[in-house]
Amino acid sequence: MTAVTNQTISQPLDRVDGPAKVTGRARYSAEIPLPGTVHAVLVGAVVPSGRTNTIQTGEAEQVPGVLAVLTHANLPKIAAQPRLFPSLFGHAAVGETFFPMQDDVVHYAGQPVAMVVADTLERAQHAAGLVHVSYHTAPSTTTLEQGRDRAYEPGRIFGGLLPGRMERGDPDSGLAKAPVHIDRTYRFAANHHNPIEPSSTTAVWEDDRLTLYDSTQGITATRLTVAELMGLPSSNVRVLTHYVGGGFGAKAMIWPHVALTAIAARYVGRPVKLALTREQMFSSCGHREEQEQHAVLGAGNEGRVTTLRHHKLSATSPFDDWAEPSLNVAAQAYSYPNYQGSYRLVRTNTMTPTFTRGPGEASGMFALESAMDELAYELGLDPIELRLRNHADADPLTGNPWSSKGLRECYQRGAERFGWRERNPAARSQRDGHWLIGSGTATAGYPVPAFPGLQPQRARARLYADGSAVLQAGTQEFGTGVATAMTQVAADGLGVPLDRVRFDYGDTELPNTAPAVGSAGSGMVSSAVHSAATSLRDQLVAQAVAQAVADSESPLHAADPSTVVVGDGRMMLRDRPETGETYSELLQRNGVEDAEALGSWQPTGMDTGYALTTFGAQFAEVAVDSDLGLVRVRRMVGAFAPGRVLNPKTARSQLMGGMLWGMSQALPEGTQMDSRMGRWANASLGEYLVPVNADAPEVDVEFVEVREDVANPLGVKGVGEIGQIGAAAAIANAVFHATGHRVRELPIRIEHLLRSA
Amino acid sequence: MADRARLRGPEPVTVELSINHRTRILEIEPRTSLLDALREQLDLTGSKKGCDQGTCGACTVWVDGRRVLACLTLAITCEGREITTIEGFSDGRRMNAMQRSFIKHDAFQCGYCTPGQVMSAVALLDEGHASSDAEIAE
Amino acid sequence: MEFLSPATWEEALAAKSAHPDAVPIMGGTDVMVELNFDQHRPSALLDLTRVAELAEWGPDGSRVRLGAGVSYTTIIQRLGKHAPALAQAARTVASPQIRNRGTVGGNLGGASPAGDSHPPLLAADAVIELASVHGVRHVAAREFYLGPRRTARRDDELIAAVLLPERAGPQHFCKIGTRNAMVIAVASFCVTLDAATRTAGTGIGSAGPTPLRAVAAEEFLTAEFDWQGAGPLSEAAVRHFGELVASAARPIDDVRGSADYRKHALSVMARRALSWSVTDYRKGEAQCA
Repeated sequence: MTAVTNQTISQPLDRVDGPAKVTGRARYSAEIPLPGTVHAVLVGAVVPSGRTNTIQTGEAEQVPGVLAVLTHANLPKIAAQPRLFPSLFGHAAVGETFFPMQDDVVHYAGQPVAMVVADTLERAQHAAGLVHVSYHTAPSTTTLEQGRDRAYEPGRIFGGLLPGRMERGDPDSGLAKAPVHIDRTYRFAANHHNPIEPSSTTAVWEDDRLTLYDSTQGITATRLTVAELMGLPSSNVRVLTHYVGGGFGAKAMIWPHVALTAIAARYVGRPVKLALTREQMFSSCGHREEQEQHAVLGAGNEGRVTTLRHHKLSATSPFDDWAEPSLNVAAQAYSYPNYQGSYRLVRTNTMTPTFTRGPGEASGMFALESAMDELAYELGLDPIELRLRNHADADPLTGNPWSSKGLRECYQRGAERFGWRERNPAARSQRDGHWLIGSGTATAGYPVPAFPGLQPQRARARLYADGSAVLQAGTQEFGTGVATAMTQVAADGLGVPLDRVRFDYGDTELPNTAPAVGSAGSGMVSSAVHSAATSLRDQLVAQAVAQAVADSESPLHAADPSTVVVGDGRMMLRDRPETGETYSELLQRNGVEDAEALGSWQPTGMDTGYALTTFGAQFAEVAVDSDLGLVRVRRMVGAFAPGRVLNPKTARSQLMGGMLWGMSQALPEGTQMDSRMGRWANASLGEYLVPVNADAPEVDVEFVEVREDVANPLGVKGVGEIGQIGAAAAIANAVFHATGHRVRELPIRIEHLLRSA
Repeated sequence: MADRARLRGPEPVTVELSINHRTRILEIEPRTSLLDALREQLDLTGSKKGCDQGTCGACTVWVDGRRVLACLTLAITCEGREITTIEGFSDGRRMNAMQRSFIKHDAFQCGYCTPGQVMSAVALLDEGHASSDAEIAE
Repeated sequence: MEFLSPATWEEALAAKSAHPDAVPIMGGTDVMVELNFDQHRPSALLDLTRVAELAEWGPDGSRVRLGAGVSYTTIIQRLGKHAPALAQAARTVASPQIRNRGTVGGNLGGASPAGDSHPPLLAADAVIELASVHGVRHVAAREFYLGPRRTARRDDELIAAVLLPERAGPQHFCKIGTRNAMVIAVASFCVTLDAATRTAGTGIGSAGPTPLRAVAAEEFLTAEFDWQGAGPLSEAAVRHFGELVASAARPIDDVRGSADYRKHALSVMARRALSWSVTDYRKGEAQCA
């Protein structure tokens, strides 16, 4: 095997797309100049349930420049309805199995009931306001509270991938025998992703071929979904997305507006651009569902937890059994022998909930880690000590060893950086003026995606005779840093300088990779890119050393390939580096303009004999105004063991962003349902609050190195979600430490803490 | 008397704007925001639309040297004023110290709001409001 | 939609008279949101950005005259001494970009109960100058807010300026928001102590259908405070003041906060603002003004 001498992987390099982004040259999906493009604007239902009665389009149609007003009466029907299945698996992946404007039924407020297409955005907006819709309104259920009596246990959830109920050991007897119990219910408001770029789609037809410029986390999922919905061959649909302005799950599944744009473009015979408004984003791309989780811990007096019972009740849509998988990591977080988990659902008049950053684990680990903190206080144990006493040395689900873990080191290093030992464990023991000060901790965990049925990951490597190289993979960059990291992986795999490699992505014409979801992106795509780059390297070395073919002029002719190393675009003997030649010299001498190789990697299934989970530890210090209940986070420390870090600079940004998401989940963020109107009450960035710069505390990110040999060739476990998991719990635990009041509801509202006065 | 105040519209009107020291003439409805004029009419897409209500800051541009939100500014009210967008800010390619610093410190991820942040950050320095972290946060 | 672009104040008044339904636009921070979200389709917009007088401010007899088009940024930079509470309130408005454009005139025109400048105008007993082709009239801020987004301004009038009494004592503004910036107030409060008239003033924001005064609290404080010797107020008096402020509020529950929280927060803000003001007053700060 040929070795590579240069090493850019794990270097904190600047983003390759940095200059384009800071100069405004980076073009996002709605910004690609396409001649003749016209504008579409959606009209959403204003009632949550019932039927449209009349839809008067006449006035809108009279507006100059209007090309079409589409309703269920004239919109061409879809060809087929794909099933709901997580896009990670590489199939068609609708976010909900309901496609609007097929008939007059209204399932949720904001559901599209009409679509106006006009030559300018202003005219389309103006005309959309002149579409008059009347409704036959039916009774609606929009909150858990309203539907609690009608809760049901689904057989399976999450696109049928997960069972609705799980059990191991004997939880009933485990709880009966345990001398100490924590029995609590935790509540969560719905959340919306609010990526800063609202979703947009531009559809361009050329005969029966469709090109979509779409803000998506999965171009292939978009291609397959739209092809199926419209009855087109998959090969006739091309999807491009060069830059995506954040996703967080909002763009992980394929929502109706994408195909609606394609249908409208075919209808008017012009390229059509649809950019959702911020308000429409609240009823167009799913959300994290309103939920409550009942967690019961049974423990011995010494702090050994023997049993976890973890039941979730959550809201779903009228037509899909969706719950984010909140129970997975909690089920294997500690070494309890007895476990029971279950999901129950309530049908509500909202769209189908979906993946939202830290899907499932962000809420599930809040419940578990709050309960663990309650147990620590109940037993008078240090919260870290309690967690160490329950450390799972092997996966409690399967008994398999962890492929890598590092959790003890995360607790230790995080605690050191935070100054955890100086903490007075007594609640309400520290004051700074009218501020009460407290600190809290929580465990973070997120599964490394390893499932049967994942698609092979592919990439192409091409090296030109001038020494420049292109790596291609159909992934998408929405800020994770994948374009930068893959450039590094490519440079190392091929053995060429970084500035000689370009990484191409964001086009379904490129080799297929998984969507950028579930912390899977860097692990999956790097495996394919690494495979392609090293294949091409080996191919070129083989050509240089080949004895059977004509090229006997290579200085490496007849050398043993295992003695050849590559660096800076040059192949050479390991022991005699002066003997060798560059890739360029080899290709030019042979009159060949380029060389190319395809790399492929089959993702890890579940049969590795190992458990694959990423771990970390979160620490937070808060100040609570004792009179007003205002909570300010003063600092956060997170220590994480994500395996190989391809680029510490971009990985740190992702982890820091995740931690701030956790802070946001704990404090300002929550979508409130106005159940009287059946609509989200705060559907704007003025009222759906996320932290601003002035709220951001000092955030300290620590990497704990672990060697990961199972997940994928480069040992990458991913950093997309782990930064968020546990952060909200660490803050809520800190709020308890500061005030002595336990808040079991997210977001923590000022009203919750009034009693601390 | 009243017609001494110039009355225009409601049909599209011709508006002359100076953007990045270049005169641009466009036909817009009076109610068109500067942001939509830049993005949809002039292909100056570096100014981003994130909220359309003045909360996110992704559309920050300068009008007569002061940072403002293009989504809350009517294009037609900018006649006779100098508009600076991210595209004119460093002639598009050569980067200034603020832009280089954003890259060096990885001060962005998806990058969508980055041009607005750069426009705002440079103005912050120009206004002399950057003497401490607390002042910057404010 | 028509667009009127007067170059002078006379033209602006004439235009408003001829088009009483025209919506004046200055900084755009309220009107543009309504346009962008299609909440309102006015038949005409009246662009006041070219009327130079509106952006001027300066002494006017014993008062400070603040043109309706003076930006919050200018208020922060220039009016900290003359109108400290208004300047404090201006600092809490949204973001620097919005403070560069937003104006007190716009706040008064929109008359949202959450507008940050209302409590200081109420507490300081400011006067609003309204003008039309028929002439100028002055309305006390305390008489200006009539109902939800309804004011004493007539359809043919424009807001010309705000007249602020020369400050004669400490002023403090407090605002509660659920994040540290870029936030609409959950509740806000302002108190003034006027050594010249020996009266206290108050203003309450985001806790009723209009900006409010706590008249009983003002009367109590006016009577209770030791204007001559500046002796400290008893804890009971401070607490009572807070209770009177809270009881003047008429809040509702909404996504930003509950009615109960708003009342509680007002009592806390009132106590804190009063304590700071008394301390300032005792330091002789009142004499410097």
